[in-house]
Amino acid sequence: MRRDTPRRISWPGSRRGLCVAAVATTGAIALAACGSSSPSGAAGKQVPASAKQTIVFATQGLGSEGTATMTAVKAFEKLHSNIKVQILSLSPTSDVAFEQLSQRFTAGSSTPDVITSDVIWPAQFAQSGWLANLAKFHPDTSAYFPGQMATGQYKGGVYAIPWFINAEGLYYRTDLIKTPPTTTAALVSDAQAAMKKDHSLKEGLAFEGDKYEGAVTAFQSMGGQLSPSVLSNIDTSANASVLTFMSDAIHKYHIAPSAVSTWEESQVQDAWLSGQTPFALNWPYIFALSDGTGCKPGCNPVFGKTGWVPFPSQTGSAQASLGGDDLAVNAKSTHQAAAWEFIQYLSSDSAQDARAISAGDPPSVKSAYNSQLYAAAPFFKQEQAVYAAATPRPVTPVYTQISSQLQVMISSVLSGSSTASAALSSTAPTVKQLLATVASGG
Amino acid sequence: MTAGPEPALPAGPAGLAPPGGPDAAAPVTGRPRRQGSYSLAARDRRFGYGLVAPAVIVLAAITAFPLVYNLWNSFHNADYLFPTTFGNVAGFRNYSQMFTGGQFLPSLYRTLGFTAVSVAVEFVIGLALALALSRKFVGRGIVRAAILIPWAVPTVVSGLLWKSMFDPQNGFVNYILTELHLPLAHTTWLGQTWTAWGAILIADAWRNTPFMALLLLAGLQVIPRDVYEAAKIDGAGTIRTFRRITLPMLKPAIMVALIFRTLSSFLIFDIVYAMTNGGPGDSTQVLAYQNWFAMNSEENYGLGAAISVALMVMSLIIAAIYVTAFRAEQNV
Repeated sequence: MRRDTPRRISWPGSRRGLCVAAVATTGAIALAACGSSSPSGAAGKQVPASAKQTIVFATQGLGSEGTATMTAVKAFEKLHSNIKVQILSLSPTSDVAFEQLSQRFTAGSSTPDVITSDVIWPAQFAQSGWLANLAKFHPDTSAYFPGQMATGQYKGGVYAIPWFINAEGLYYRTDLIKTPPTTTAALVSDAQAAMKKDHSLKEGLAFEGDKYEGAVTAFQSMGGQLSPSVLSNIDTSANASVLTFMSDAIHKYHIAPSAVSTWEESQVQDAWLSGQTPFALNWPYIFALSDGTGCKPGCNPVFGKTGWVPFPSQTGSAQASLGGDDLAVNAKSTHQAAAWEFIQYLSSDSAQDARAISAGDPPSVKSAYNSQLYAAAPFFKQEQAVYAAATPRPVTPVYTQISSQLQVMISSVLSGSSTASAALSSTAPTVKQLLATVASGG
Repeated sequence: MTAGPEPALPAGPAGLAPPGGPDAAAPVTGRPRRQGSYSLAARDRRFGYGLVAPAVIVLAAITAFPLVYNLWNSFHNADYLFPTTFGNVAGFRNYSQMFTGGQFLPSLYRTLGFTAVSVAVEFVIGLALALALSRKFVGRGIVRAAILIPWAVPTVVSGLLWKSMFDPQNGFVNYILTELHLPLAHTTWLGQTWTAWGAILIADAWRNTPFMALLLLAGLQVIPRDVYEAAKIDGAGTIRTFRRITLPMLKPAIMVALIFRTLSSFLIFDIVYAMTNGGPGDSTQVLAYQNWFAMNSEENYGLGAAISVALMVMSLIIAAIYVTAFRAEQNV
């Protein structure tokens, strides 16, 4: 509460009040988060990194990812005996984790100190004033893959540091497809030929087309253009041809089942691992499941037959939608120095390699792709080629709204209720207007 | 905790409360007067206020305050994307944005359509269930408990359950259709507008019909047996008994069941969110989904508040229509 402020720019206790309103109107589960509001508007007095303290790390991740996080935390606590790291588990579902974090930020909470952020969130969080500008710690931004580093840079500041990279590429069965296709036409004919030859194949291509964020990454990985210059008018011939291809794969070439319009990554994963498709679009975690540690020949139908390349481009250079997680620091945290120590540790080659080997999370730090990593997990060599094509989704605070528009657009085309050109021309003005709103008011 | 209605009372007579009395906390001012000068009725009233005060305060905190605050938000800028103008008065801008967004009216029509169809379907099936369950048969208690199970499953869980049942390749629905050689066995249920609505309707009816049946069953229980016996003696058949006795006497229960179901169907969110997320395209986006999106994804609490105020007003109108209709019936 800033009582010395002459004009009422923000009203006292506003955030807590909003929280109550949110609970009342949406039945949200934010009550717990609403209680821990920090009394002051800005971050409180900073605790030096050398002091004895506990930092709270909000992160997703179950199973092997969760174990990898615990291992990293223990190793860090050993190195920094004065800092304890307490883990706050977020939902494994990205959209829910987003809400869990934003509800805490909305409530003005000083914890969690460090958060795991999907690459599409930092701009929105930074615009809202919820993330600390890490430029004061002088991070080495050249150490990371540039596409992902860009997701944390906003309005001249550094608000997030890449933790592990992800990019979406085309899985192909090395036993059925001799050389991976380099054009979409070749992809279609290869898929059709494979289906004809091998009747155990249920489909030729699996991708995720449900109405959610995945539809946008599939669109982008297949060549959809979402760069800042294109966003002001997404109704381009390149985008039309990508959207048409997605629809044709189902309705014209019959290589993808109509079910893909309701599929998410997990259904694509099932299709791939059960050996029912020669091609599938998915993220690198598939390698850990098909060929990863603990898997021997025959442990699944695709063991040792998994190849991965960027999706063939229709429009020039191939692109792979960039995913992955960043690490960011709560602007209200009073433990920012310790938080930075923790982030630095997670970015070290050894911590990055350990996570890559045990959980399959690809390092975001370029130097972590070394002989030590390849010796333990040779498939990371293939992955590098896809990461070179990694293309970030738009870095803008209105990404959520833009994505929602794109999801509706893609979903309506895949379900056959709209044509590619009609969907693009009706979505383009809305996207343009969203960008204009944030440009005028931000 | 005594901040309720008590300070509103004049200090004079209140000052005479005996020590340890119901309002011992009230300030003792002035000289004590004659015992008989304050009435028993006033004391009772104050004691009553004291008793209801905690409930009133809790209700105010969890109902009235958020409602008022939400109303307040709807007339202010509460968009976290614009921290510099956060909190400024917005007039009716949030409300106009609600309409210019282009999604409000289509969502409203979808919501109303779904409400009408789902309540009708659930009422008919629920009534049939209630009639069946009001008869005596072996294992009635178990069946009565069993039909409530869907209602006890959290809505999101049942949404996800039905989503997997409607999965085109691995789902139960298409499996059964295939095994029985029925048509539509290869339908991508959630991938097309009308089949998606059908799937949502089935999931919603599966969950909510038991609730409807339970309310109607309670209504059936209070209809006196002797009325039926009289009808039987007069030679009325089953259909006639149902139309002339059961339905009219069930009317209060029907009204309550319809109000409950209409309002909660109008505010449908979780099943849609879990099953289609508003898709395919935007064909299953309902009003509550818009509300959720504005608040929790866009972080625009002003717009979200405007939508929820609109939802609240419309809910009140629906309730008012029912109550008026009910009153008119009663007065005939």
